[in-house]
Amino acid sequence: MAPTPPAATQRPAKPGHPGRTIAWAVISLLVVAAFWSAKINWSALSDFPTETGKYLGLLFLPPDWSKLGEALSAMLLSVQMAWIGTLIGIVVSFPLGFLATAGISAGWLAWPLRGLFALIRAVPEVVIAILILSVTGLTPFTGALALGIGSIGTLGKWGYESFEAVDQGPLEAVRSAGGSRLDLMRWGIWPSVQAEVFSFWLYRFEINVRASAILGLIGAGGIGKMLQDNVQFRNWDAVGMLLIVVIVVTIVIDQLSGLLRQRIVHGRWSGNRAARRTGDPGKPEMSEPAGRMAL
Amino acid sequence: MSTALRSETAAAGRPAKPRHAGQAVLVLAVLGLLTAWAAWGVGVDLPKVFANAGNAWGNLVQLGQPDYGFIPKTFPALLETLNMAVIATALGAAVALPLSFLASRATNPNRPLLIAVRTVLNLIRSVPDILYAAVLVAVVGVGALSGIMTLFLFNIGIIAKLVSEALDGEDLGAQEAALAAGASWFKADRAAMLPQIMPTFTSQTLYTFEINIRASAVIGLVGAGGLGVLIDNVRSFFRYHELSLIILEILVMVLVLESLSAWLRKRLV
Repeated sequence: MAPTPPAATQRPAKPGHPGRTIAWAVISLLVVAAFWSAKINWSALSDFPTETGKYLGLLFLPPDWSKLGEALSAMLLSVQMAWIGTLIGIVVSFPLGFLATAGISAGWLAWPLRGLFALIRAVPEVVIAILILSVTGLTPFTGALALGIGSIGTLGKWGYESFEAVDQGPLEAVRSAGGSRLDLMRWGIWPSVQAEVFSFWLYRFEINVRASAILGLIGAGGIGKMLQDNVQFRNWDAVGMLLIVVIVVTIVIDQLSGLLRQRIVHGRWSGNRAARRTGDPGKPEMSEPAGRMAL
Repeated sequence: MSTALRSETAAAGRPAKPRHAGQAVLVLAVLGLLTAWAAWGVGVDLPKVFANAGNAWGNLVQLGQPDYGFIPKTFPALLETLNMAVIATALGAAVALPLSFLASRATNPNRPLLIAVRTVLNLIRSVPDILYAAVLVAVVGVGALSGIMTLFLFNIGIIAKLVSEALDGEDLGAQEAALAAGASWFKADRAAMLPQIMPTFTSQTLYTFEINIRASAVIGLVGAGGLGVLIDNVRSFFRYHELSLIILEILVMVLVLESLSAWLRKRLV
């Protein structure tokens, strides 16, 4: 009796992921529940496409360039707020970041500081600004102060994370040579993290430029205030101009800061494009898959 | 004699350190000037702040005593904030997934389209969320809808950027195989690239949801629904007991949801 030949090759059943399935089910349920419980007048969206066209026309065809000078000086004030805010954040978070680093400072000091950073990160900058506003009144300077406090949260966290990720060799060398804690920071940690730290300071400045435009909306001056005033009076063409100013200045600052970060991390100005293409300046060019050539 | 030799070798031993002092001084001087100029523009006035802080003591005391009786009144706004974040994240993620395939060099062979999509995404991302809210409130009216639209735009920008960057770094072998077997680009991307990107996509969407929770509590300040509207109300009537309660609620909500989402991200990916 010949054994029956095996059936045509069968694909084994795909393994199930019960946990994943449950997670997806719960998430879907939440989304459905949100749609169901939100009191939203979706019918307002029906004429939205035409409305969008109309408003885009009002905003940008043509923008009102008559107040450009005023807008630029308002944006300048926003950028200055971001600069001062970033500086406040740097000055305060730098020592605190070291104090929150395991191996440098004691646990009873490090953990509360980490909690403080997390707490600050949980509160949006605008809310910090409102708290300050209800205490002292809002000027561009208190706006910068709010940005500064907000910066402490992220800079502190990024700081201790990078301080803890350094190669332990130099640290050990400093310890065995009898260095103090200050020496540990100065010679064991600082040389290795310098570039990274400068890089995230710049990155936080980029974030603060965006946030400072927002603080104006609740009265801290700068471009946000001008925008709010023009939206209230429905000067759409001026609003369009302001949006263009915000977009252009934001992009320019991002690019400049990106260039600087590139220079700091990779030690050269150019090579940006090549680095982006391969993901890493050291790697050879990725080969393009075949099939991209029209045959 | 030996000492002379030793001193000679010692002298020749260490090469001189390259000097960067001049450069450093220059950079510091430029930064100092920039800072002074910015400080003057912003009007840094420490004495005045301290003087005001004295007057503000009463407000601070009020802020330090949240009015817990106000909690039930915040529920509708709280629910609206959560709804806005959930809906906007779901819709944003759904739209951003195909867009990120169009915005990645690895999955979109059509250069002009690639550049167009990337440019649009960059423009969308360069506008802060509250600015969208301010304009959209004027367009579609006050309430959750303008908030959802704001967050939706904001999310598309974030998710599409993060996912398309991840796609750029993925392994293209499977895609090449699919193309070689005669699949269209769409099919090759769906069969070979989508499964690779799914964990990243899920993780980034959850991360975006965390950002949305924070943002949706704030965009109401310009009228786009949620807790922000409530903040604006109590703020204009100087009811600091209630203001500090709302801020406390935001804090608790953010911390709880962020830890939940971080846990999920760890499990899913």
